[in-house]
Amino acid sequence: MTATKDAPAPARRLEWQPALVRDIVVETPRVKSLLLDVTGWRGHLPGQHVDIRLTAEDGYQAQRSYSIASPPEDDRLTLTVERVDDGEVSPYLLDNLRIGDRFGLRGPIGGYFVWTTDIGGPLYLIAGGSGIAPLMAMLRHRRRQNSRVPTLLLYSSRTLDDVIYKGELDAMADGDPNLRIANTLTRKQPTGWTGYGRRIDKELLAETSFLPRQNPKIFVCGPTPLVETASRLLVELGHDSLTVKTERFGPTGGQPT
Amino acid sequence: MNDKDADRVLDGNAAASLLQEIFVPEITTAQIQCVACSLTGALGSLRLYAVPMGTVLRCTQCDCVVMRLAQTPRGRWVDMTGARYLKF
Repeated sequence: MTATKDAPAPARRLEWQPALVRDIVVETPRVKSLLLDVTGWRGHLPGQHVDIRLTAEDGYQAQRSYSIASPPEDDRLTLTVERVDDGEVSPYLLDNLRIGDRFGLRGPIGGYFVWTTDIGGPLYLIAGGSGIAPLMAMLRHRRRQNSRVPTLLLYSSRTLDDVIYKGELDAMADGDPNLRIANTLTRKQPTGWTGYGRRIDKELLAETSFLPRQNPKIFVCGPTPLVETASRLLVELGHDSLTVKTERFGPTGGQPT
Repeated sequence: MNDKDADRVLDGNAAASLLQEIFVPEITTAQIQCVACSLTGALGSLRLYAVPMGTVLRCTQCDCVVMRLAQTPRGRWVDMTGARYLKF
């Protein structure tokens, strides 16, 4: 089987592998990142996801999908987990999981919602909440490759405390004239806030996006209403719907399997 | 569409795990053609509806059902009545 340009990862059936938790990073009050060692991990592309499987003592299994937040250049695999209040997996991952624990993982999965520096730009990323995770893998990959691809990130969060990877994103944008980050806070803005303070609308997109004739590569990830709104407005602004790649969140914060 | 219904709408990319258990080559970038309107695009770009019976993939242009997936105790079903072809 020959791998295509879109899917350079070697074709192989999905198999469960053990993932070992090496570190846990508190990102926001509702979000943690899990840094994992996966034996025999064969690499991934920025934007891909994995399935994880938890097995209870009575044999009950729960499975969820999580985007990979780390770039292919990292040895460890990072998954960023947001709390779903009535969820059965995220509360366990956030409250009970400890360094040294193991769980089942398979992947990488999905070659469609993927960007590498080879694909080029300009790159236009739109994130809502923890939808930043797969886009962060793209941004980290871009940074590690010292890429100068003109890049815009429009990132919608509820409050300043909910902005995931804030310090790292600010540091990334500092001293990189080709990277611009526009934050919008939809629920509460701190005093002196200079970013946007509303949900994504047409005017906000028009102000932050590349022009259609620049042929940007567009990736939108977040809750369904945000993705639906942003992709519809981008088409109204003249972007070809086939250039807008979307990834909606399911009811469990992951994708159904 | 209320919030609860909206939550069940995803992208074709979300069907990757299920389909990748069956197909060996990368499935989300495979081109799929809708029988009803002949729109051709990556499987990952279809609209996915996660319904209790399984997964329904619809065309983004005409909304017709392109593919239906179900996992049952008696096997996995992949109904492709609405697709003219898959190209890898």
